[in-house]
Amino acid sequence: MIGLQKLSAAILAGGTLLCAQTPAGTDKDIPLSKVERKNRAPVSKEVLQVKLPKPVEAKLDNGISVLVLEDHRLPTVSVQLLIQGAGGLFDPADRPGLASIVAAMMKEGTTTLSSRQISEAIDGLGASLLFNAGFGTSDARVSASGLSENFDQWFALMMSTLETANFPDGELQKLKQRQLTGLKQQRTQSSFLVHEMFRKAVYGKFPASIVTSTPASLQAITSEELRAWRDRRYVPQNSILAIAGDVNAKTLIPKLNRMTAEWKKSDYRAVMPDTPKAAEGRKVFLVDRPNSVQTNLMMGNLAIDRASPDYAALTVMNRVLGGGAASRLFTNLREEKSYTYGAYSGFEASELVGPWLANSEVRTAVTEGAMTEFLKELNRIRDEKVPAAELEQAQHSIVSKFALSLEQPSEVLSYATTRKRFSLPDNYWETYPARIAAVTPDDIERVAKKYIVPANMQIVAVGDASKIKAVMEKYGTVSVYNADGSPVAQ
Amino acid sequence: MKFIFALVASAIALSAAPEVAFKEYKLKNGLRVILSEDHSAPTYSIAVTYNVGSRDEKAGRTGFAHLFEHMMYQGSENVGKGEHFSLIQNNGGDMNGTTSADRTNYFEMLPANQLDLGLFVEADRMKSLVINQANLDNQRNAVQEERRLRIDNQPYGRTFEAIGNTAFDDFGYKHSTIGSMEDLNAATVDDVRAFFKRYYAPNNAVVAIVGDFKSEEALKKVEQYFGSIPSQPAPPQPDVAEPEQRAERRKTSEDQFAQIPRVDIVYKVPAGNSPDIYALDLITDVMGAGQSSRLYQSMVKDKELAVQSVSFLQSQRGTSLLLFVGLVRPGKEIGTLEKSMETEIERLRTEPISEAELARVKMRAKTLHYANIRSSLNRAMELSENAVFYNDPGRINTVEQMYQKVTREDVQRVAKKYFTEENRTVVTTLPQAAKAVAK
Repeated sequence: MIGLQKLSAAILAGGTLLCAQTPAGTDKDIPLSKVERKNRAPVSKEVLQVKLPKPVEAKLDNGISVLVLEDHRLPTVSVQLLIQGAGGLFDPADRPGLASIVAAMMKEGTTTLSSRQISEAIDGLGASLLFNAGFGTSDARVSASGLSENFDQWFALMMSTLETANFPDGELQKLKQRQLTGLKQQRTQSSFLVHEMFRKAVYGKFPASIVTSTPASLQAITSEELRAWRDRRYVPQNSILAIAGDVNAKTLIPKLNRMTAEWKKSDYRAVMPDTPKAAEGRKVFLVDRPNSVQTNLMMGNLAIDRASPDYAALTVMNRVLGGGAASRLFTNLREEKSYTYGAYSGFEASELVGPWLANSEVRTAVTEGAMTEFLKELNRIRDEKVPAAELEQAQHSIVSKFALSLEQPSEVLSYATTRKRFSLPDNYWETYPARIAAVTPDDIERVAKKYIVPANMQIVAVGDASKIKAVMEKYGTVSVYNADGSPVAQ
Repeated sequence: MKFIFALVASAIALSAAPEVAFKEYKLKNGLRVILSEDHSAPTYSIAVTYNVGSRDEKAGRTGFAHLFEHMMYQGSENVGKGEHFSLIQNNGGDMNGTTSADRTNYFEMLPANQLDLGLFVEADRMKSLVINQANLDNQRNAVQEERRLRIDNQPYGRTFEAIGNTAFDDFGYKHSTIGSMEDLNAATVDDVRAFFKRYYAPNNAVVAIVGDFKSEEALKKVEQYFGSIPSQPAPPQPDVAEPEQRAERRKTSEDQFAQIPRVDIVYKVPAGNSPDIYALDLITDVMGAGQSSRLYQSMVKDKELAVQSVSFLQSQRGTSLLLFVGLVRPGKEIGTLEKSMETEIERLRTEPISEAELARVKMRAKTLHYANIRSSLNRAMELSENAVFYNDPGRINTVEQMYQKVTREDVQRVAKKYFTEENRTVVTTLPQAAKAVAK
């Protein structure tokens, strides 16, 4: 490998480097697993006490909340700007994708610079600048990074695109054409299809169920709509600006006040939609992907938001169940049964209630076996108390991993950004290890019973319907869809 | 002291970039050890790079080096099957292993108080891997699922296999690292035993440790855990020399999941440490990096022939590949896109790139270098890999300067030298239905 790598190129190339994740372990006293614990490796029982460096916090004149973490190990700086209320969650019902098109158009022309001039300026500084407004999320996010020696220049460029992007129609038409092809291409990937159907299954008609634009919406979007969205929603008082790296916090904050002075505050405040309710009744959604050699299984339901008091217990439960290669799902479905390259669980928790989910891609022939093992593990975490040793290892794993983040200033700062974004207490991260350590087997059982409810679970399978429909019918009423997401008559 | 370390090299000082200081040692059993202290975070990383990859495989056993990598997590004398991952993850660490054509590596990142743990698990499996039929069958299945996941069930999943297979003559790089289902099925326990003995010896590996430790102490521990592992006869090195290509090669394949035709224009270029490689790598940036790049501006934005067009270098110890890739815009002809991309490539031969372009890609090289040396894990992987590939771990400190020395004349010279019709391979991937219609 030479030092230079290109992400998009790596994706296109596919399979040039084979990153092979491997086995997992659990306790000896878990009968399901053939893994073995010899307990002979030299392990320090101590959790390394880690003190996360605290960023300098300030409020700028125009209302931006600023977090600055100085780190001079390398002459680089990274910037994250979160703009609450500008994410895809707020897309109008007849304009899915509007927020993401606004973000995609931010570098396509300003009142003074053309699209090409912007990209040449950014690339010429060796910097990167990305605008993103994900579907189902409440925030738009601007990520920029570059060298500290020309920080002033690339930061100014970021601010000027933010304030003066003017969404030229010619560029918008070109972007629409590129995006129309993207809409088609994404449907070739089972990972997209499973994600799309799962969000629909758990969120129903709620706006967070949308994960993609449509050709009709794309065609209809106008420059005026984009400009109106940006003017209303890209406002400083709803923003958090997090800067990590080779900067001097003391001199930087007055400078930021000057450099963001043109970004004027307003009285706009995004109103969150009502809290969505978990889906009821077990349902099976089968997306037909003819010739698929694997079935992509995803199952789950809505669970918690980030402020939930169950967050710590669910974090530990997930680590036991499916959060990594040392957890039960991986051990069972990969290491014991070898149905798959990997099997995991996870949960999303933001301002909005998000889902917990379990997921694996398995060869078509073992779809039923995989479903059996998923259900067995989901029931087991509800019905049987987690053994003390297994619980302790999960807790140890979560708490001791903080040390690794200290290598990356942007990661350290992301903890503070999370605290700020979700209005968590000032000492949230200082007390977090204690909260994780306080989780008991009863807590795990309680949250598992509360959120993992097999009777209400939404199950999505993407695969060859001619081979797996009969299997999936064993787990609930099956509705079949094609790769366009449309129901198929049965 | 019962062991002798030979100090082999130390870091080369550089004026511009922050330097990765390191020391190199060799144990009596031939294990190369690279230590690089960094006390700025309470962490360390260990990377063990073995001098074996899929280029060492024989016909009929493709995919074996990678299958073997999976076997390395199936237990050893003092670590149970699957215990490796829980030992590392439950103690706050992270780990993985990867296989490429040129090498296999294994690595862990851990909190600094777990120095013994990382060394112990790596030494134990180098010393005493458990090899049996049940483990082999189990991991064969997992690897075949990996192949389905990454290759057989993905749009353009097999394109890269077609490129290697068409462009290369020598078997080492001609076949894919993931291998064929048939060959994976053919692998036996005896194969695993023989491979382990031949390649997984201390004298065929480099251990690099980077992070928060004292070198003297770490060295003692390395000797304690690895010192008793016997060396083996040096394994044969594959001859991956490519015969000169004398005519353009073309290959068209069908893809049952792709919706959009794709063209890959590929040139053979020299090894990853050859003097020309830096100018060639910068060309891929001029052509394909960022929205200001030539392919994006011309193919995607101006001419609207492609929905995506990029360029990258597949750097290898032997002959490397430089690729220009385009995904055809619906309604446009793949032949038109290919011609247009070739015109852009030809322009690199006939006129020098601009000063601004050169400055831009050099700036990018600088930024990427910093990103690359940020984590202790990346540094450990680079140090050990450069030692295995080029006997030059210090390359981590010199490579960025090589990019900064490239001139516009260099760029034009290497373009003229390598971007010739005779040296070209063009691989076209067509959606299955579209091809049927075209017939």
